[in-house]
Amino acid sequence: MPTLDESATPLLDGLRAFIDPAQVRTDPDSRLNYGRDWTRLYAPNPLAVVLPGNIEQIQGLVRYANEHRLALVPSGGRTGLSGAAVACRGEIVVSMERMNRILEFDPTDRGVTCQAGVVTEALQHFARERGLYYPVDFASRGSSQIGGNIATNAGGIKVVRYGLTRDWVTGLKVVTGRGDLLDLNRGLIKNASGYDLRHLFIGSEGTLGIIVEATLKLTRPPREPSVMVLGVPDLNGVMSLYHVFRNKLELSAFEFFSELALRHVLKKGLQRPFDAETPYYVLVEFENPDESHTDQALALFEHCAEQGWLADGVISQSETQAKELWRLREDISESIAEHQPYKNDIAVRISRVPALLAEIDELLAREYPDFEVLWYGHIGDGNLHVNILKPTDLDSATFAQKCGAVSEHLFAMLQRHGGSISAEHGVGLTKKPYLHYTRDETEIGYLRAIKQVFDPNGIMNPGKIFD
Amino acid sequence: MKILVAVKRVVDYNVKVRAKADGTGVETANVKMSMNPFDEIAVEEAVRMQEAGKAQEIVAISLGVAACQDTIRTALAMGADRGILVETDAELQPLAVAKLLKAVVEKENPDLVILGKQAIDDDANQTGQMLAALLGWPQGTFASKVELGDGTVNVTREIDGGLETVALKLPALVTTDLRLNEPRFVKLPNIMKAKKKPLEVLKPADLGVDVAPRLVTLKVQEPPKRQAGIKVGSVAELVDKLRNEAHVI
Ligand SMILES: Cc1cc2nc3c(=O)[nH]c(=O)nc-3n(C[C@H](O)[C@H](O)[C@H](O)COP(=O)(O)OP(=O)(O)OC[C@H]3O[C@@H](n4cnc5c(N)ncnc54)[C@H](O)[C@@H]3O)c2cc1C
Ligand SMILES: Cc1cc2nc3c(=O)[nH]c(=O)nc-3n(C[C@H](O)[C@H](O)[C@H](O)COP(=O)(O)OP(=O)(O)OC[C@H]3O[C@@H](n4cnc5c(N)ncnc54)[C@H](O)[C@@H]3O)c2cc1C
Repeated sequence: MPTLDESATPLLDGLRAFIDPAQVRTDPDSRLNYGRDWTRLYAPNPLAVVLPGNIEQIQGLVRYANEHRLALVPSGGRTGLSGAAVACRGEIVVSMERMNRILEFDPTDRGVTCQAGVVTEALQHFARERGLYYPVDFASRGSSQIGGNIATNAGGIKVVRYGLTRDWVTGLKVVTGRGDLLDLNRGLIKNASGYDLRHLFIGSEGTLGIIVEATLKLTRPPREPSVMVLGVPDLNGVMSLYHVFRNKLELSAFEFFSELALRHVLKKGLQRPFDAETPYYVLVEFENPDESHTDQALALFEHCAEQGWLADGVISQSETQAKELWRLREDISESIAEHQPYKNDIAVRISRVPALLAEIDELLAREYPDFEVLWYGHIGDGNLHVNILKPTDLDSATFAQKCGAVSEHLFAMLQRHGGSISAEHGVGLTKKPYLHYTRDETEIGYLRAIKQVFDPNGIMNPGKIFD
Repeated sequence: MKILVAVKRVVDYNVKVRAKADGTGVETANVKMSMNPFDEIAVEEAVRMQEAGKAQEIVAISLGVAACQDTIRTALAMGADRGILVETDAELQPLAVAKLLKAVVEKENPDLVILGKQAIDDDANQTGQMLAALLGWPQGTFASKVELGDGTVNVTREIDGGLETVALKLPALVTTDLRLNEPRFVKLPNIMKAKKKPLEVLKPADLGVDVAPRLVTLKVQEPPKRQAGIKVGSVAELVDKLRNEAHVI
């Protein structure tokens, strides 16, 4: 990492006038750790890391940044997969981690108000302890923050039933790029009083302002969820299964992974769900409060087996087993990290999934026969993760360049299917060159105009989403 | 050869257990119940013996409330051939369970009885040993490996400082430890088959056993809350606190 730019010291001292000097950090460890997210593609190089403790300090910081034209990168748990929280151009990282208090809970509203730095899992626990449930959930729950979840409109593994982060946000307090504090929607369910700015901040990836507080809805926990893992011989079967199961069962997850992906998880010591190998697997979670639901699931299983849509399957007998089965899907990402996978997170309408998958498979087999390609994802949402593993004998630069070429093909294909180049990981830096495959120039013009309103000097996370 | 496997219905390992407000026990209303994990290992071991052609019949037995039938059905879906429930709403302590099991063993005449080394609810670790003593059978507890021979069974046990292998003459009793095997997941078609397998329901009185508790629970309470950690400024301060506050060095 480049050494600190000493000429900036007076500027940082100006910050120390209104923020505890110990919370304005320039040591190499802080700059390294807070300068990057889960991606490892960009060399971190922030000017400094600031950890504000309250809203006034954030407003002061944003005004100061406007005055001195300093770029700010809002920073959550830095589990993002698109480089949106990366600071590699001398920016100031604004970490929300000290603002991690849950402020208010009302059982009648079934709502909770918290600071943006609350860790996702902490909110889930808070809800559980009150007999309620916060359903936005994914493998990075132990580190990602509510503010980061909102700024990326995070999805995850329960979307088929509960929707995206957007569906749970009933209020936001934000400091805009101009330094104004806006109190948006205040936990109201109904509010037909003009434009709903809250929704502009959801998925804004830190480019409009800093989310400082959020009010979220909670719901009742699912009753006795059971987990099935089913072996599927071919792709069309996956969608047929989805169609049949969602009509008869209350599904809370419908996930998919390939045998090739499963093998990486098994190498880490997990147990194969059943002996038979099939090219694809689905993980189905459903509410199973009594025997009639189990019977329904069994009947569907038999029906689907007769159609040849599935070859075998297991069902959890305890919460512990449900967790073990979930690990087959959730541990994939970590188990392939050592292979420096080139990741794509794409979406199409559910009905288009099999056609798209077949086309992509054909493309990759034709153009890149040497690459190991792994499929998994939230297929019930039309969301697929395509992971290309780096062959050990190929250097990173050549690999990245080859994958870039794959992406152009892939995204052109997606465009024809009316899909999206980013289902839930955001655009950030990694997908910025490809935004035009999903949003046309006219639409991007509107996005820029909105950014101009909230952040006229372009200090909020510049260079992310678009230039 | 015939194997009898005991399976207990307990609060699921993943549930955060809470003491009841009145201190009489732990909260079990609306709490997920499932098979004691050590008993899953016991069932798995029996099924593997059967798959290897070394056992002809596996009988799964549970003792307690009617809902224990679910636990037996899980054992049947894993591969046991038939089930027995000794049904009672009474509180069952290890000695009562051992006496009931002894009565069933005398009825069924198995060559091998496999139990978990303990149940994760009361962690008593007594039933297997008591049953072996009541039957006058050899016992191999804390098994991490079980090998059937001709009229014998070799049991490798996890003990302090290593492994010990004991050779037992059948009939014998084995209690399972965590590393014995990794239980299989239950296949959906096997759940359907399990529904058709026989499940006999008995009462303690049918077996002539008095199950009255011998131990009285005075009070059940939550452990004290752990205190939050602190950040120390230097190694010297850390050493000082370890020595003078925590008294660990
Ligand atoms: C193993 C693993 C699994 C994952 N699975 C999923 C998944 O299933 N679904 C999914 O959607 N994502 C998934 N992710 C991606 C990631 O966890 C989510 O995008 C998460 O919401 C990011 O939160 P964060 O706090 O880490 O944000 P960061 O990475 O810190 O930041 C992400 C973006 O939000 C901005 N931001 C952060 N906090 C604020 C704030 N307070 N105000 C304004 N802007 C802010 C940042 O500037 C950046 O643009 C996964 C990641 C990993 C590592
Ligand atoms: C008896 C009664 C009961 C009602 N109950 C409810 C209720 O329970 N909940 C509720 O929310 N409302 C209710 N309403 C109000 C009303 O029916 C709704 O707001 C309805 O959505 C209006 O639809 P409309 O087509 O009549 O719109 P209009 O009255 O024609 O227009 C309403 C607004 O929409 C704009 N608009 C209309 N079409 C378009 C278009 N294609 N593109 C852009 N802008 C357009 C108009 O310019 C105007 O600003 C009720 C009304 C009545 C008379």
